[in-house]
Amino acid sequence: MNKIQEPKAAIGQAIDRVEGRLKVTGRAKYASEFPVEGVVYAQGLNSTVAKGRITRIDTAEAERQPGVMKVITHQNALKLATPDEKLLKLDTKAIAPVLQSPEIHWYGEFVGVVVAETFEQAQHAARLVKFEYEKDEHRTEYKDAGEDDSYAPSEDMQHRRGDVEAGMAKADARVEVTYRTPVEHHHPMELHAVIAEWDGEKLKVYMPAQMVNDATIGISDTFQIPKENVHVISPFLGGGFGSKLQAQEHVMLGAMAAKMVDRPVQLTVTRQQMFTNTGLRQENFQRMQLGATRDGKLTALVHDTLSHTSTEKEYQEPCGAASKMLYQAPNARITHRLVPINLPYPWAMRAPGEATGAYALECALDELAWKLNMDPVELRIINDTQVDPSNDKPFSSRLLNECLRIGAKRFGWDERPKEPRSRREGNWLVGYGVSSASRAAPLQKSAAKIILERDGDNLQATVQTDATDIGTGSYTIIAQTAADYLGLPVERVAVELGNSDFPTSAGSGGSWGAASFTNGVRSACLNITDTLVTLAGHDSTQGDDLVTLMKKADLTRHEAEGSASPTEEFDDYSVYSFGANFAEVWVDADTGMSRLKRILSVGSAGTILNPKTAYSQVLGGLVMGLGMTFMEQSKVEPNHGNFITRSLSDYHVPVNLDLADIQVVFLPEEDKIANPMGVKGIGELGIVGVASALANAVFNATGKRMRDLPITPEKLIATELEPGLARK
Amino acid sequence: MRPYEYIRSSSPAEALRANAASEKPHYLGGGTNLIDLMKEDVERPDTLIEVSGLDFQSVTANAAGGYTLGAMISNTDTANHPEVKNNYPLLSMAMVSAATEQIRNMATNGGNLLQRTRCPYFYETSMPCNKREPGSGCGALTGMNALHAIFGWSKSCVAVNPSDMCTALAALGATVVVLQPDGGSERRIPFADFHRLPGDTPEKDTNLEPGELIVGIELGEPKFSDNYYYLKIRERSSYAFALVSVAAGLQLDGNRIVDAGLAMGGVAHKPWKLTAAEEYLRGKVPEAAVFEEAAERAMADARPLDDNEYKVEMGKKAIVRALMQAYERTA
Repeated sequence: MNKIQEPKAAIGQAIDRVEGRLKVTGRAKYASEFPVEGVVYAQGLNSTVAKGRITRIDTAEAERQPGVMKVITHQNALKLATPDEKLLKLDTKAIAPVLQSPEIHWYGEFVGVVVAETFEQAQHAARLVKFEYEKDEHRTEYKDAGEDDSYAPSEDMQHRRGDVEAGMAKADARVEVTYRTPVEHHHPMELHAVIAEWDGEKLKVYMPAQMVNDATIGISDTFQIPKENVHVISPFLGGGFGSKLQAQEHVMLGAMAAKMVDRPVQLTVTRQQMFTNTGLRQENFQRMQLGATRDGKLTALVHDTLSHTSTEKEYQEPCGAASKMLYQAPNARITHRLVPINLPYPWAMRAPGEATGAYALECALDELAWKLNMDPVELRIINDTQVDPSNDKPFSSRLLNECLRIGAKRFGWDERPKEPRSRREGNWLVGYGVSSASRAAPLQKSAAKIILERDGDNLQATVQTDATDIGTGSYTIIAQTAADYLGLPVERVAVELGNSDFPTSAGSGGSWGAASFTNGVRSACLNITDTLVTLAGHDSTQGDDLVTLMKKADLTRHEAEGSASPTEEFDDYSVYSFGANFAEVWVDADTGMSRLKRILSVGSAGTILNPKTAYSQVLGGLVMGLGMTFMEQSKVEPNHGNFITRSLSDYHVPVNLDLADIQVVFLPEEDKIANPMGVKGIGELGIVGVASALANAVFNATGKRMRDLPITPEKLIATELEPGLARK
Repeated sequence: MRPYEYIRSSSPAEALRANAASEKPHYLGGGTNLIDLMKEDVERPDTLIEVSGLDFQSVTANAAGGYTLGAMISNTDTANHPEVKNNYPLLSMAMVSAATEQIRNMATNGGNLLQRTRCPYFYETSMPCNKREPGSGCGALTGMNALHAIFGWSKSCVAVNPSDMCTALAALGATVVVLQPDGGSERRIPFADFHRLPGDTPEKDTNLEPGELIVGIELGEPKFSDNYYYLKIRERSSYAFALVSVAAGLQLDGNRIVDAGLAMGGVAHKPWKLTAAEEYLRGKVPEAAVFEEAAERAMADARPLDDNEYKVEMGKKAIVRALMQAYERTA
């Protein structure tokens, strides 16, 4: 193949979303909106104890209700595949057996499902099924867990380099603190839902799936049917944030119900069930130790994370991920330990590890800077490295220092109050905070198909891939990519996504979507061009466009597939996106209410495919980070083991009035090692470091170190000034 | 939710009759709280009697020299009504701080008086709650009670009243006008006697008799129209219930406080009128030290629970701030 000239006509343009009109006019179909003939409705039932077993079930009253077709519990459920091991590690392809035993492992676990002719009938009857339990003592607390009470999940979650004790001994300044982050829930706007329709041994499933192929595998393995018998349809998702990475239990519940009543079944997970049945971000206790010389050079870095997992499945949020690679610390220890408890299984939530880990790392650095009497921006710059210290590989590109320097200038960092609690505006205390951000920029194997249809001189292209749009604009960046690599205007490209009949993509997750999808589409475009060249009898395009080539080949329709995989040299590098956040926060001196005044995010993330959708992505991350900082938390009731925050009126996420002056800047960056198009993910980068920039600004404003998220008015009132700070 | 019968009443008499004819009736205003509670299986009426269309839709001058707010007006229209904004701006300010614009558009004044607590133990039917299920115990007393009462609670119930409007009404003073089921004769309930403390019967939020229909809220002469403030401390800028709120009104004569209205929300089973602080403030010169002393007196008999000690300190600061904001509005 000739050396490719990478085009940039549509790519890099801030065009409007090609799918935008469909969405705002309600014509974009989400899973539960597909009209399926003969559909009936299912309502899941949840356990009301946190540990024990079901001893008796009375379904009589529920079954007597009008419209009720079936009540399914473990007593009459279909047998599903069960895991080989007791502790099944979660992966996105995993089976999800449900209703297979009377044992209860957490409050809110699915214990049954009612199927009825109408949604209302199913909901009503669901209230009337009576369960009796033999209750065991449950465990939801674990913060004092010791070595013999917790376990290390796997070796690759642990990292050691150098001699931490020696490094700490050499230090002129030390920080030793523990940060806590609470349980959070994903709560995408779109509820999880499924419509399942069997045709003999074939199953059609409408569901919001971030990774269509993995969902297909999970479903086929759970029901023990061939993968090709499972057809997953997921053209649009109303957000996922990780909770839709896998076909979870409710999908199997819907499919099981459909099989048992021999009708298509729609099951929607309620907002309350989104707390108990679709994953969560773990509560984490992160113990940080930093040591540095007088001039700010890190001599040692320790990041020990203690988290919980469910008693049935294992998931560890990799909180130490950034601590491993972000700074040049010669001596480091990164550990993760888990305690199995009676809470729903944890699961990846936007920037798993980095979002929470950066809160601990970047706040600890701020504490160190204050001890060293050093500008926190300078402390970060001094400890920059162009080589990943965890594996000695060079970074494929890393503009962290540029992000920090340019950000500081644009933000007016030199106006920062030099002493904590020294600037007042009326009743408000004013503070500035900074943080670094990093997030791996992986590429996963991703395929796509291009279909060209020619009518005279008019050419229409269609792209098909099982890639998904989780609300981010995948349709748009794929259309831009195909347009450029086919030499067509964007209007001539139709994009079809989220269907397991289409070529397998990487799916949306782990910030690999944009890079993987577009590079896969690029390959398909190059392939279709190459085959047309051959069919036209040329050695190269000879400057002909696709219409001319198709005419020469006497074709009105042509299709080809292509696939992208990481380059060979990818493994020789550490590939990450980087960024810096600068925030100004005002805190009411008396009431403890905090306001984000402005925030600037500067990112370096390779080729920005569409500045408009990229801005939206990072904006969403910043807002989610704002929620993480000041309000988001799921509280566990100790006596009953359930979440007492159980709706969006008491699980607080930011409202419009909480937002501020939000600026997003991307630095120009070319990274051909990441992938041919130089695209790096930004889906998660935006949230990373936000909580630390804001918490550091709160310290600068108030002189209070807030080491327990969220930073609520009651905590600010109850927290003392940092020792050494006189109240001003 | 459970099946129920729906009746749209076209007159108060019809509503009262329909109510008397049902076993477990419930009047329906905007439904912003009731429908949620029915979905949660907490409220289980067999009949809903729609009263939001009844002719209590206006703000009218009354014999007391003030205005009566129709019970069926939306919270939005009430808060934005010129007579309310001009004569009782404290009420208007409190009302717009509540919930969201969408909820305020639906919620009625009568319904707001009957808002039920947001205690999570009340909402979750698998947990004990004496208010929902008398005799089952108070889950919050021995469980999580950071959002609960510091005044007037009992071992039966530590829940708080969630209403912002009612906190302002407590500071202003008002009379609730209701129609009785015996053919529609009027009964007038002083606002301070409308809501109850939990005692041994936390299932009763108010002193309404079964079947009574709220038709109006009567306010006296315009009050605190120059010096007022509603401070709501919450975890986000909108759509959050108060951790602590303070409705403060001052009547000044030169540099002296002639009258003060002061009430707190988020601290008790009913809107908590700070009578001792109000009395202390009368005749004083408004200044920080005076407001601080008022706050001390207001919080003197606070009895925090395990998780809500912070409300005492927060409450004091909120009182001082609200009074200062009220005072500085024109000073």
